[in-house]
Amino acid sequence: MLSTASPRPDGTHVRSVVTPHAPAVSRGAPPVLSARGLTREFGVVVAVDGIDLELDAGDFLTVFGPNGAGKTTLLSLLGGRLKPTRGEVWVGGERLAFSETAWRARIGVLSHQSFLYAHLTVAENLRFFGKLFGLTDLDERIPARLEQVGLADRSDFLARQLSHGMRQRAALARALLHDPELVLLDEPYTGLDPYAASVLRGVLSSLKDGRRTVVMVTHNLTQGLELADRLAIQVRGRFGWYGEREAVEPETFEHFYHQVVEAGNA
Amino acid sequence: MTYLGQIYAIVWKDLLLELRTRERIAAMGAFAVLAGILFNYSMDQTVVKAQDIAAGLIWMTLVFGGLLGIGRTFHLEAQDGAFQGVLTSPAPKDAVYVGKVTANFVLLYIVALLVVGVFTLFFGLDLGEHPGMLALALALGSLGFVALGTLFSAVSSGTHMGETLLPILVFPLLVPMVIYGVSATGRLLAGRPVADIAGNLRMLGAFAVLAVGVGAVLFRFVVEE
Repeated sequence: MLSTASPRPDGTHVRSVVTPHAPAVSRGAPPVLSARGLTREFGVVVAVDGIDLELDAGDFLTVFGPNGAGKTTLLSLLGGRLKPTRGEVWVGGERLAFSETAWRARIGVLSHQSFLYAHLTVAENLRFFGKLFGLTDLDERIPARLEQVGLADRSDFLARQLSHGMRQRAALARALLHDPELVLLDEPYTGLDPYAASVLRGVLSSLKDGRRTVVMVTHNLTQGLELADRLAIQVRGRFGWYGEREAVEPETFEHFYHQVVEAGNA
Repeated sequence: MTYLGQIYAIVWKDLLLELRTRERIAAMGAFAVLAGILFNYSMDQTVVKAQDIAAGLIWMTLVFGGLLGIGRTFHLEAQDGAFQGVLTSPAPKDAVYVGKVTANFVLLYIVALLVVGVFTLFFGLDLGEHPGMLALALALGSLGFVALGTLFSAVSSGTHMGETLLPILVFPLLVPMVIYGVSATGRLLAGRPVADIAGNLRMLGAFAVLAVGVGAVLFRFVVEE
């Protein structure tokens, strides 16, 4: 927990802690994603330090933070790609067990890397990953997803023949191919041209409308605020601030962000 | 069915990538041919009979040439984080491993047959009365080799030493395969009856099964985290 003076969204400072963890709210159905005391250490470095989270269907959480704050590590922990040193992650009421893999079918991951094979076509990549996810209706799914991301006319292109923006859109189609209930996005806007960014924004918006739960980490304050209904600012592995999107004003958010980062580094 | 489908997907993807890039098969094939040519000039066949030493040369060529290709198993996987995509899928790690071993086996077995062909051509080898048994010995040896090679290729790809580390890790473990493979091949080339190599084939088979089994169990610990 932050013990130093912490800034508030309106720019003033308070001596107490400003919601460093997600509030524990009692709900009927199990949350789509919850984490308790999530900690990951790499030797003496604590990349993620005791983070608590609870997200329901349709929640969109954006995690901001400076370089080295542990955002990508947090995402890897939530997606089960990294094993926590302490703490646990629950998806849809089931605890992530590293030795079991069935729950991965409920998660879609989009990174700044495309996770695509450069020498396979877009359609072949989707078919390959679809088979790994045990999907059987790929002849219908693949064209539909490519249509969704505006790549219907590029399905026979090798991934290496695509521009970065197109490759990211193909990666988005791959991440959403199995219709995951939880989508994890790691700097998805990196290197995208305005059109590709607008396609991504549209798809993310449709995910929200479809009550998919989304966690996105990003440096970009403007894009991070657009669709989020919850925000977190991660500093030195911890949430320096966590709250509702309505609690912040876009005009003053950058100033507030810097205050939180400075407080977290103090 | 999903488990077999996941294995099939990995095999299909690996072989399709190899068909498109020819990255590994070309290196292994070229090595086999060049090694055959060099061995041809490296011995005086008026002093040493090729038939007597061909078994050792075939297996050594297969081991060194095979390592060129097997060592690059995870090379294309690293590009643009492709293998991370596989790891985020629900495919069990042992299914991923078995799929990669199967694809590597297909490639190495093609090279093994090429090696035998090259040595037959350059040394005028007589493959004996049981070429099918020779093919079986090569298949079992190749399977054991790729089972260990694929596992340790994953280990070495995660280190800064990369492919340099692979022979140091794998060669000591290949000793049983070389012993029984060379013995079986030598006896077949010498025209000995099948009964004389049955024990060697059983040992090669046991080695292959053990290597695949251990690899399937350990692969998860190598690729996770």
